[in-house]
Amino acid sequence: MSSKLQKTIRPVLAVRGLHKSAVEVLRRPAPEDTVTASFGKFISEVKPQHLSSVVLHRSKRMVLDSIGVGVIGSTTDVFELALQHCQHMYAPDDISSVYGRRGTRLSPTLAAFVNGVATHSMDFDDTWHPATHPSGAVLPAVLALSDMMSANSKPSGLDFLLAFNIGIEIQGRLMRFSNEAHNIPKRFHPPSVVGTMGSAAACARLLSLDPSQCSHALAIATSLSGAPMANAATQSKPLHIGNASRLGLEAALLASRGLEASSLVLDAVTGVAGFNAFYEDYVPQPLELSNDDGHMFLLEEQDMAFKRFPAHLGMHWVADAAASVHKILVGFGPGTVSPAQVQDILLRVPKSKYINRPFPDSEHEARHSFQFNACSALLDGEVTVQSFTPAALRRPDLLALLSRVRMEHPQDNPANFNSMYGEVQVTLVGGDILKGHCDTFYGHWRNPLTNESLRKKFRNNAGAVLPSEKVERLIDVVEELDRLGDCRALLSQLQ
Amino acid sequence: MLRKGITESFGAAIHALNTTQLTDGVINRSKRMMLDTLGVGLLGTRTAVFNKALAYSQLFTSHESSSVWGKSEITLPPHYAAFVNGIAVHSMDFDDTWHPATHPSGAVLPALLALAETLPSQPSGLDLLLAFNVGIEVQGRLMRFSREAYNIPERFHPPSVVGVMGSAAASAKLLGLSPAQCTNALAIAASSAGAPLANAATQTKPLHIGNAARRGLEAAQLAQRGLEGNPAILDVNCGFGVYYKDYSPSAMAVSASSDFKWILEDQDVAFKRIPAHLGMHWVVDAALAARAKLENSVRNFDLSQIRHVTLRVPPSKYVDCPFPATEHQARHSFQFNASCALLDNKVTVSSFSEAQINRPALKELLSKVEVETPKDNLPSFDKMYCEVEMETDQGQRYVARCDTFYGHWRKPLSQKDLVEKFSVNASSVLCTEGVEGVIDVTGNIERVRECSILGSYLRMTSSQHEQLYSTRSL
Repeated sequence: MSSKLQKTIRPVLAVRGLHKSAVEVLRRPAPEDTVTASFGKFISEVKPQHLSSVVLHRSKRMVLDSIGVGVIGSTTDVFELALQHCQHMYAPDDISSVYGRRGTRLSPTLAAFVNGVATHSMDFDDTWHPATHPSGAVLPAVLALSDMMSANSKPSGLDFLLAFNIGIEIQGRLMRFSNEAHNIPKRFHPPSVVGTMGSAAACARLLSLDPSQCSHALAIATSLSGAPMANAATQSKPLHIGNASRLGLEAALLASRGLEASSLVLDAVTGVAGFNAFYEDYVPQPLELSNDDGHMFLLEEQDMAFKRFPAHLGMHWVADAAASVHKILVGFGPGTVSPAQVQDILLRVPKSKYINRPFPDSEHEARHSFQFNACSALLDGEVTVQSFTPAALRRPDLLALLSRVRMEHPQDNPANFNSMYGEVQVTLVGGDILKGHCDTFYGHWRNPLTNESLRKKFRNNAGAVLPSEKVERLIDVVEELDRLGDCRALLSQLQ
Repeated sequence: MLRKGITESFGAAIHALNTTQLTDGVINRSKRMMLDTLGVGLLGTRTAVFNKALAYSQLFTSHESSSVWGKSEITLPPHYAAFVNGIAVHSMDFDDTWHPATHPSGAVLPALLALAETLPSQPSGLDLLLAFNVGIEVQGRLMRFSREAYNIPERFHPPSVVGVMGSAAASAKLLGLSPAQCTNALAIAASSAGAPLANAATQTKPLHIGNAARRGLEAAQLAQRGLEGNPAILDVNCGFGVYYKDYSPSAMAVSASSDFKWILEDQDVAFKRIPAHLGMHWVVDAALAARAKLENSVRNFDLSQIRHVTLRVPPSKYVDCPFPATEHQARHSFQFNASCALLDNKVTVSSFSEAQINRPALKELLSKVEVETPKDNLPSFDKMYCEVEMETDQGQRYVARCDTFYGHWRKPLSQKDLVEKFSVNASSVLCTEGVEGVIDVTGNIERVRECSILGSYLRMTSSQHEQLYSTRSL
């Protein structure tokens, strides 16, 4: 709208007493002042030197862990199903590597899809605060896109790592727009909401899109976001991450071809929902890139949680609490815990319907069951990858313990990964009461896994599929990632 | 407490519904929907958004591929054929609209046609018709689960919510999935639902329908491979209910042997005469009537005599656009459509080109337009009206009101006019044989042995046209 026209209109409006909504429409902010534009600008203009050493270190740990859980995830049924679907529906397209499958490549968005599914297939991937699984939505897309780029213009390791961090940062920023995002989700599964946006942002950066195109990539991605919580704890949940990765990449590719979408998608426009459609409260903030060389990435203020076993994050509290009771019990008598000793188990946990499952029917449900994880840890002293096999799910000892579990949801135990605790109170047959309490499990951002522990997890995971030379090379390559001239050294080790 | 078994009842119903339950009324109405959808889709294959999506989709190849409407040489993997054809259907906002509000056909037909082409045993026209109606019915059922759905949307774009579910249901039907698989198809599709309204009135809106078609088909195929989702996806608030502020689902009862009451039988669709948001049709009809009044009473009528125009419309932010800058915004602007009608005495496909949008005379008229939202004008396609009032320099006022535009379900397009709309649309892309072939096949679809014949007509381009149109974007 030209300024000349604006001048003609203003006096007319005053005279006619124009209806309020039309006036508001006319007062739309200039394009450059919107939150949406600020995000596009950040994605396009943030520089590698803005990555601090802390952020480099933390994000490399995330990349390593994500590859590890993705590789072991390639052994799951849901991954196999997704892969076969892609291979059946589409012709071979030797472009982007599939985790853990030597010689198998798919076209980029499909590789992003299956690798994303693999990453979340066992609920073993990283978790952040506010809650989401940030890496699985971004890394597969960035890897697939890097494979797609021509041989003489592959991103350097630093470019790769920067794109990855942009994908993480965008997710963190978006989640801070609402209070709802700070609690364990009830409506939309967070990776399906912010994950797609993170993937779009990372890919837009890797494609070197200009600020406007980056904004459009986000807006296109918004129309591809949002899956309901009801599919968590089912076999479909991993597809939320797979789709976030794939569709974010797709959004960036479409934006690179000139597809346009809403330029106010992140801004809160009354009567027309944009990204705020997914939240009940929403206050967006522009993303400013400071003029000096510093930008505080959220990863610097808020570290990541890495899981020690493949289950929903909430399980780690009760598992640690139950493990401490196991230790005491084992100390009393023979080396194992028997249901015969136990009269009653009381769990004090936050209130959250989708992780409250007294008798889980499947591995997916078991990974989302306070009761199951507490009893497993009580029996075995720990929860591992093996705790979720079909045989393990049906153990008579475990079922016996499950039938003795009661739940309480104390007022002081909020459904929030930053503030919750897990308490396990076991009443023995003799009348003794043993209590285990966990405020911060080992692996939580307040008590992070040591590099030693992280590598051990990676070796166990990747080593289940890849030969040990590749496993060790991956550890080295990721450690060196920001110094690599060409990310092919990473791309070639994934299968 | 949880209501049990609603999702399972849908899965059972999708499986059980059979061709004997199709009534004459529903067959008649759904054939009209198919014809109209194909026509607007063919016309839509000449848009910029379609071309971008097509170029993108050509990154993918597959062994079995499906037709791209209006292209004699190009085929795509079925998902991407469904994607681009769906985009074509919605590219100009020219496709059918239902009540409660959604664009039902564009999400379903492209998926079915793409799927049909790849099936080892070719479905008959009647199979296609049944699957199509299953896809429409499921959408209608889902929208009746909330009061929110009855009004012009504010949060999620309805085709992205119910469209993908309809596509999944229809595809599951055509694939002959078991009741359990049909249930899973719905559950998987729900995780692909829900695009926010903000992308309406942008170039991305057509992708909402394209993606609904594509991802519903995908959901059905994943379910066929054994993927499972939440079997109570429709029952729980944290399932399909997340897309609505109020949500009250109910079961779908079908017995294979008895009559079935299709929603389409009770509630017809609206077909558009103008490639613009449905609300525009009221304001255009009112503007044309007001203009006629002015012309009849004033000799040497000249638009510069208009001092002021007032539009009385229902409150709906995303179609309140005083100065649209793009074709997409123009299709979602009460002000633009009213002004066009006043200026040109008609609003057609060509009214939305860049040149037309930027006409100085139009912009001048736009600056005189003001919008009011009277309290009695409800944002519902079943209840709204539009009123256009012009005031001349002389102080004369001319008012006209439209309650029901021609093409609305209360005043449906005649068969003659529907076929005429199709012919005009399709002729921009197909040769005469193709145009007539599609009319003939859809008109007799229930008697057609193999529905693949439809695909062959959809590819009968007039080769001159293909060359001409491929070098410029409309």
